[in-house]
Amino acid sequence: MSIDFDALSAMDAAHLVKAGEVSAREMADAAFSNIEKRDGKVKAFLELSHDLAYEAADKIDQARSAGEELPLLAGVPVAFKDNMNLVGTHTTCASKMLEGYESTYTASCVENILNAGGLPLGKLNLDEFAFGSSTETSAFQTTHNPHDLERVPGGSSGGSAASVAAGEALLTLGSDTGGSIRQPAAFCGVVGFKPTYGMVSRYGVVAFASSLDQVGPFAKTVDDVAHAMQVLARKDPKDVTSQPGENDFLSHLHDGIEGKTIGIVRSMIEAKGVTDEVRYALNEAIQHLEDLGANLVDVELPHAESAMSAYYIIGPSEAFSNLSRFDAVRYGKRVMAANLNDTTALSRYEGFGPEVRRRILLGSYILSSEKYQELYYPAQKIRTLITKDYTEAFKTCDTLFMPCAPRAAFKFGEISDPTEMYLSDMFTVSINIAGNGGISVPLGMGKDTGLPLAGQLVCPAFKDAELLRVAHALEGCYEKVSVAQAVQEGE
Amino acid sequence: MALSPQDVRAIADYARIAVKDEELEELADYFNSMMDTLNLIKKYDIEDVEPTFHPIGGLVNVMREDEQGDSFTIEQTLKNAPEFEDRLFKVPTILGGDE
Repeated sequence: MSIDFDALSAMDAAHLVKAGEVSAREMADAAFSNIEKRDGKVKAFLELSHDLAYEAADKIDQARSAGEELPLLAGVPVAFKDNMNLVGTHTTCASKMLEGYESTYTASCVENILNAGGLPLGKLNLDEFAFGSSTETSAFQTTHNPHDLERVPGGSSGGSAASVAAGEALLTLGSDTGGSIRQPAAFCGVVGFKPTYGMVSRYGVVAFASSLDQVGPFAKTVDDVAHAMQVLARKDPKDVTSQPGENDFLSHLHDGIEGKTIGIVRSMIEAKGVTDEVRYALNEAIQHLEDLGANLVDVELPHAESAMSAYYIIGPSEAFSNLSRFDAVRYGKRVMAANLNDTTALSRYEGFGPEVRRRILLGSYILSSEKYQELYYPAQKIRTLITKDYTEAFKTCDTLFMPCAPRAAFKFGEISDPTEMYLSDMFTVSINIAGNGGISVPLGMGKDTGLPLAGQLVCPAFKDAELLRVAHALEGCYEKVSVAQAVQEGE
Repeated sequence: MALSPQDVRAIADYARIAVKDEELEELADYFNSMMDTLNLIKKYDIEDVEPTFHPIGGLVNVMREDEQGDSFTIEQTLKNAPEFEDRLFKVPTILGGDE
């Protein structure tokens, strides 16, 4: 049968393949055909992996002919942020430092998706080493927002969000250190989920800030995200921070939220910087939550204001440490100079782009002995206060509702001051600092810009399945997420 | 106190990143602007607050049986090296060019 690929969710695709109505090979064909038509405009992919995708598809088609039971994500075209290792592909982090780097092993999160039957289409663009909020710092290409090609897709996982919104991949993975899954999901009008810290293994994902980084899925529906979590959430002996956690994301997904208590963070919704249309959409969503039978309570997060400062102390410090491994000896770009020190310094200058260098330098400064006492150590105390805010808030409610991004997607070059760019993450960073799970749920198109907007739901640590249940109920109040119109023009 | 271009040079040396003279001014501006944001944490009373270095509390040592598992082969390890010889990474001269 011919496939209306744009109409499919990831689980629709899996069901068609399992029912034998479409072969996995046809599913891969349909995805690659859309990539061929659209990715010239969107530029979400840094590398395509046809061979790996068809190899995986043939395995599924053979298993089906042999009458074997197919795994959960059988035949779902998937793709991965290019800071995740996958043997048979390069892993560049969108940096000249790692141009041509061949993955020598496969990240656990990638392996779990592939073991569940995902078809790997390729690797997706990002801000260099995931430092950014627009994917503009990629050393290789500019990814365009599928809803308006003049605008950014958000970042740092811009390729992961854009690819789903453009109807290329049906499920993608990204990483989120301060909002890098949730903000691009908001800009591109898809669902993006940052699970609780420790829920998903980070083994094989290039580290940015190890106490904040978490891997999570993007898709058109919360149901797809829940199915992805079903295979992603597991203890991995190769990542000591991965936790056993709960692992039933599906049984109660459709149970609704009647009687649940949702905490509304008014101070964030009313905050300076939130555009009128975002505020309007958030208030509309609050009404929907009430109509669904939830009890609403107002909650305060008194230290949330300090989160940006704490984040830009902790993040760059950990990045400085993590990126010290790029020494031009074991891997990465090497530019020869007179001696080892100069070779290292010059290689790091030419290999890293300006934003990466800025963040490393900032971390280097903060970790100097004087600034450590003045900033780094106090920031860890602030982390305690932020975490306590959330603990207190969750004594009165099950889930929090707050803004995700303060505005709709901006135009290329519109924000050139790096410190202004950092404000894109003003509502997402505190969740990484506390370690809770957070999800970006599409709230339809903005009344002023006509661009996708989103709200953010946040859960207590390891209550991620409950969070998806709330997100699923809220999602049902809106039109189904469909492939962006702008990218289909001229087809 | 505002950072000077010379301070930035010292920070860059410590981070092993080359920096061009003409870039120092802009980087100093960036640092000073960031410090305004970062210094905001100083307004909180944190005297008696314990620090949290990691979101997962109550960490315990994880032990496993001392059994040999898979490890990277020499080929895998050297695969992306800028330069190697036999089974060794080749490092540029350490002392050269400094006279």
